[in-house]
Amino acid sequence: MNKDLQTRELLSAYLDDELSQLEKSEVEKLLKTSLELRKQLEDLKKIKQLTQQIRRMPESPFFETRLMASIEGQKSETRRISRWLPVTALAVVTIGLMIVLKLNPDLVNDLWDEQKEAIAGFYKENLQPVLFAANLTNEDIFNFAFNNELPLDNTRKQYLLLGYDDSGKEFFEIRSANEELKRQSYNEYISAMNLNDEQKKTVDSIIGSYSKALEAQILVNDKNTIAINSNLWNYRKAIFADLLVVSEKMNKTKFDRIVPAGISNAEKMIVVNTIEKLKNSYNDQYIFVTPDSIFADTYEFNTQLFETQLKELEKNIEANEKKLKQYALSIRFDSTLQTVDKSSNINHSFRIAIDSNICRVDIPESHITEIRIADINNIDPLIEQATNNIHFYAYKVPKVERTESRIKIEYFDNDSIHSYELQFDEYDIDSMIESRPEFDFYSLDQLRQVKPFDDSMLAKYQFDKDYFDRYYSDEEFKEQMEELQIELERLSEEMKNWKIKVRKEVTKTPRR
Amino acid sequence: MVSNDKEKDLQQPQILSLDDDYAIIRQFIDGDKSAFQILVKRHKEKVRNIVYITMNNSSLVDDIAQEVFITVYRNLKNFRFESQFTTWLYRITVNRCKDYLRKINVRKIFSPLEDGYDVSDSSISTEENDVSKLVMDAISKLPTKLRMPLILKDIEGFSYQEISETLKCEMGTVKSRIFRGREKLKEILQPLERELMR
Repeated sequence: MNKDLQTRELLSAYLDDELSQLEKSEVEKLLKTSLELRKQLEDLKKIKQLTQQIRRMPESPFFETRLMASIEGQKSETRRISRWLPVTALAVVTIGLMIVLKLNPDLVNDLWDEQKEAIAGFYKENLQPVLFAANLTNEDIFNFAFNNELPLDNTRKQYLLLGYDDSGKEFFEIRSANEELKRQSYNEYISAMNLNDEQKKTVDSIIGSYSKALEAQILVNDKNTIAINSNLWNYRKAIFADLLVVSEKMNKTKFDRIVPAGISNAEKMIVVNTIEKLKNSYNDQYIFVTPDSIFADTYEFNTQLFETQLKELEKNIEANEKKLKQYALSIRFDSTLQTVDKSSNINHSFRIAIDSNICRVDIPESHITEIRIADINNIDPLIEQATNNIHFYAYKVPKVERTESRIKIEYFDNDSIHSYELQFDEYDIDSMIESRPEFDFYSLDQLRQVKPFDDSMLAKYQFDKDYFDRYYSDEEFKEQMEELQIELERLSEEMKNWKIKVRKEVTKTPRR
Repeated sequence: MVSNDKEKDLQQPQILSLDDDYAIIRQFIDGDKSAFQILVKRHKEKVRNIVYITMNNSSLVDDIAQEVFITVYRNLKNFRFESQFTTWLYRITVNRCKDYLRKINVRKIFSPLEDGYDVSDSSISTEENDVSKLVMDAISKLPTKLRMPLILKDIEGFSYQEISETLKCEMGTVKSRIFRGREKLKEILQPLERELMR
């Protein structure tokens, strides 16, 4: 180690009062003569002060209770009965209540119904289509069909996200973003499909035709209520599929890249039937998200009445414009609810998970109206394939296929497809980590941090340039690299046993 | 300022004599299970805090801290009274954190597109970045080797001797890693200097 480094290290220990008397007086002597060293000591002090400013974790008053419960839970179930004794008093009250309810079983229901009506009525007042209230454009509708996201207000910082969980059940999320939600999907799509102005107008008019149908599907009001029609998920699929059918007609060659097998006649029939049925069906089942509750209820949105009012409004558009611009939803979630056990049913019907910026609601099957639309689920594979391929080609988002025996990563760049394949017969990350406790996987950290739609993400897959900087000196970097090399050799030996193969391949996509 | 002094007092590490913990552990070994609760009460906040700053993620804190104390509960009967109880406790804490960090890092590699957002608190929070958060984020960028001694020294107030026992490494190594951790931290925080001085 060079002398300068040694002195600086001593300074750090001096700051911590961890030097011997002799070392201490030596350092003090040096400090007296060197301005540079005094500055370095100041810098170290500053850093130490900064770290000492870190806020502590708030206390957890229930920690011991939870801990003891989980220790107890792992032990045998004897002595359980004695724990019931303190609740005897409560049980007596409960039994009393049960007797009252037995005599008058509708008491609670009546009370609840009465209250429910009043609450629901309050939140249902003055609901308007979000398309109108948030001034949504054709691009927003396209983004909704394509990315499942719909802005909920003029600020475009709050938006709705639709999705399906692993078992295929519908859920939605209301999210608050730090920044305005800006997607260029529509433009990207137009350029990926290479559509001319004429064709773009056609697509525009198709989307326009849906905006009227979508009108009654999501409603909002000034009480921060969002009402979502349970048909919305079907609508999204139908709009997207219809746009695909149109695109195929417009530019077959480009479309083949997105859906290589094309769209079958059967699929086209499903799309046409679905749209027909959706447009003609009337569904008054809505899910209401309000600042204090989430509930499902019926609601009749009168499109005609709304349109008459709208025409009236248009007459004085200038006077009303100001009012329109002021409209902004402000859904705020109580993030203290984070601590609520996420798997518990808060209101017995919807499963709700809340974070400071996201409210996710999983919808039980019974709340999605099953309009038996001619096998709409049969077009799911088509939609999924098209979405993935559009992401792949237009946004260069890598494809990751994962099965039990392999991981395959592909990305598209300059008309070439780069493909990496990792094959294995048996693979268990946890046991792999546990088998080499000394290996620091930190260096691989930078491989991730991938956000969808981020063009620069491919660079992040590459070797981390800052890796070197993390290490203090050349020697240490070398030492670390040697350790890593030994580790990798050991890993590759083990991989031989696991029959893992990594194959790399670059293929040119055929130019058309 | 009285309130500040009071707060400072609360933050001071509780200095507990060896005998205190030893006596409680003996009670536990003799069959008094409630003694364990006293140990937990006494040390939980420090354990939770080490986990919090090491992981830079508040949602993992209670799970990891629980695992630490469950490990203690299961092995306390074999405690050999050769070193301080806290040295042993914090060693378990540090190792448990390292396990989690490694698992998280490896999982990230194998599921690059599955997670919608990052696991650290920062991606979700809309709160203004404050100094505490900026410094925590910077610390989480340090390699584990440099991160652990720095946290134990500057945030938890351990001596070099205690750190060397907890992390099972030489005093010289502790000294050098703390210094390098600080230098590295300075480098990471340099671009944020303006925000830190606000």
